[in-house]
Amino acid sequence: MTTTAPAPARSTMPLLSGRVTGQELVLLGVITLLWLALGVSTDTFIQAGTLSNLAYNVAPIALVGIGMTVVIVCGGIDVSVGSAVTVVTVIVAKLVRDQGVSLPVAVVVAVGVGALLGLVNGVLISVGRVHAIIITFGTLNVFRFVALRIFDSEQVAGVPGTLAVLGGGQTGETLHVPHAFVVMLLLAGAMWWYMRNTAGGRHLYAMGGDRLAARLAGVKVQRREVLAYVLTGVLVGLASCVVIGGGGLIGQNVGVGLELQVIAAVVIGGTSIMGGRGTVLGTVLGALLVGTVASGVTILHWPSQLTSLFVGVFILVAVGTDVVRERSRRRA
Amino acid sequence: MNAVTTAARAKDRAPGLGARALRALVTQRLVLLVTLLVGLVVVMKLLERGGYLVASYSSDYLAASLIDAVPLGLLGLGQLVVIVSGRGGIDLSVGSMVSVSGMLFGFAIGEWGWPLVPAVLFALLSGGLLGAINGFFVSAMGFPALITTLATYYAYSSIALVVNDSSPISTGPIQDLTWLTRPVELPMFGQYVPDFPMGIFLFAIPVIVLLWLNVTRGTYGRQLYAIGTNDTAGRFAGVPVGSVRFRAYLVSGMVSGLVAVVTVSQFASARPDAGTAGNGMALPAITIAVLGGVAITGGVGRVVGVVVAAVLVVWLNAGILLSFEGSEGSQYQLLALGGVLIFAAILNGVTTRRYGGTS
Repeated sequence: MTTTAPAPARSTMPLLSGRVTGQELVLLGVITLLWLALGVSTDTFIQAGTLSNLAYNVAPIALVGIGMTVVIVCGGIDVSVGSAVTVVTVIVAKLVRDQGVSLPVAVVVAVGVGALLGLVNGVLISVGRVHAIIITFGTLNVFRFVALRIFDSEQVAGVPGTLAVLGGGQTGETLHVPHAFVVMLLLAGAMWWYMRNTAGGRHLYAMGGDRLAARLAGVKVQRREVLAYVLTGVLVGLASCVVIGGGGLIGQNVGVGLELQVIAAVVIGGTSIMGGRGTVLGTVLGALLVGTVASGVTILHWPSQLTSLFVGVFILVAVGTDVVRERSRRRA
Repeated sequence: MNAVTTAARAKDRAPGLGARALRALVTQRLVLLVTLLVGLVVVMKLLERGGYLVASYSSDYLAASLIDAVPLGLLGLGQLVVIVSGRGGIDLSVGSMVSVSGMLFGFAIGEWGWPLVPAVLFALLSGGLLGAINGFFVSAMGFPALITTLATYYAYSSIALVVNDSSPISTGPIQDLTWLTRPVELPMFGQYVPDFPMGIFLFAIPVIVLLWLNVTRGTYGRQLYAIGTNDTAGRFAGVPVGSVRFRAYLVSGMVSGLVAVVTVSQFASARPDAGTAGNGMALPAITIAVLGGVAITGGVGRVVGVVVAAVLVVWLNAGILLSFEGSEGSQYQLLALGGVLIFAAILNGVTTRRYGGTS
């Protein structure tokens, strides 16, 4: 059965055994190696400034990645998250600047708008019974249109620091740990526990493994599917708050291409694109790996465009190990 | 089962002309697309009569705007072949392949001083090589296509940027290439019809004819649709599944190489982000393919449908551009593209359930 996601890893560490999959251990190892290598070869990487910057950059990708993991595990995909971030960011940034709304209101609005966009995706996919990638390709364009209309042909400049608590500056950190990163870790931990240990969480894997069988077993497939997209929307809202907290200037290209980074993090984290397998923990590690590579390329003064080359190679390697592992599992 | 009974019942009742027309409209994608195309032109003409447009929606304008349909339509055809090949087939990397082949083409023409024909062949070959890498991972290694091409999208786009330090190539020989895509007056009856862009005759029509012959008249097409419909059945029927699927990605790569030539001559410059700027070229290409009636699950799709869909989207975009002043038009183009895609996809789903499949 392919739906048993965290397969009992034959780990040598008894504490981790059964809780962490092979892919996650491999990722942890690769990240540790990279950190060691970067720490030895440069004198700027292991520094509070660099690492907290890395953590802040990873936060939005990992936040959206939590939702994307759920969506992909239950057999869908959402390529519209980048445009959704653009919509939420411009709306909230304008609210904060022009209406001077407070932090809680801004977060609530962001989450609400994000959830609404997710609901649109979920309903179209679930009720229209169309493949998720087609619908979200469509809403990608539509959301981008909405965002550009609200931008009204100019950047949003001079956004006050209402959301700086979630940002990457001094106010957004405690002991050099960005708050956004902590929020992300808490949510990821909660989601990891939910997907592993509750019936509702297991239903997500069941849907991705075999939709029809899950429905016959009594899983409310359509409702869960819509909720997965709404959850992604909520996280898109939070990620947008993190983005706004980062700086006073919101350009029209904010969020463009984010969907690919998020999907890359999810896939590198060992989630099967066919559904039914994957963990949120892996996604967080995947996002960390991508962030580490980007940060390392910058610190080593290599051309920054090389980052994408490495990301591409990492995706292929991650999928390769997944395919090999799946084959050996089927043979066993 | 359900489809058979519905069809039988429909025959018993001997439906009237209206019912049959409606049925053709929703079940035959080509009929729908042509109807939409005619409707679009009529509406735009009415708007023009009413003085709502900033410029004339004339046949000259429509013919000239067809140059935008060349890259879009060709990449859509590449997606057709890949998506029809089945097992989640899709190619997200076309934009990056266009960028890389475009840069190599730019080097060949603009820096190394190659003549045109070898340079075009070089672009085709480089695109083919990149597509072959995709095809190798998907068909030989069994990687999911979505992820493979996402990875190579990243890798190729990086290569295209690094190869010339992120700067475009626009030397004299490249700027002299614009005749490849500029409108020309046709010989003999040229004064009676509008001037069509050269790129249509040089690139679009040969590829369309070749692909159409291969897909509908050749063995390859039959094998392609066979494995797209059912991988296992195809294997038992003796189809070399791996090789057929590999060639689908190869075709997508070569088409991207050709599109690179078109974009380089169109913009008189080989840009390292030609295929990846903004949302890139893959999204519109997939949109065109799906709008043209290609089923994302594989095994279904027609060359004619994709071509008409490309023309429809380009003329719709051209019309939108005339309906608004300033940059608003380009924003509404996004809405139109997304809306049309969702509309087509949902219509597809509804008709599949109600009438048992579109053709």
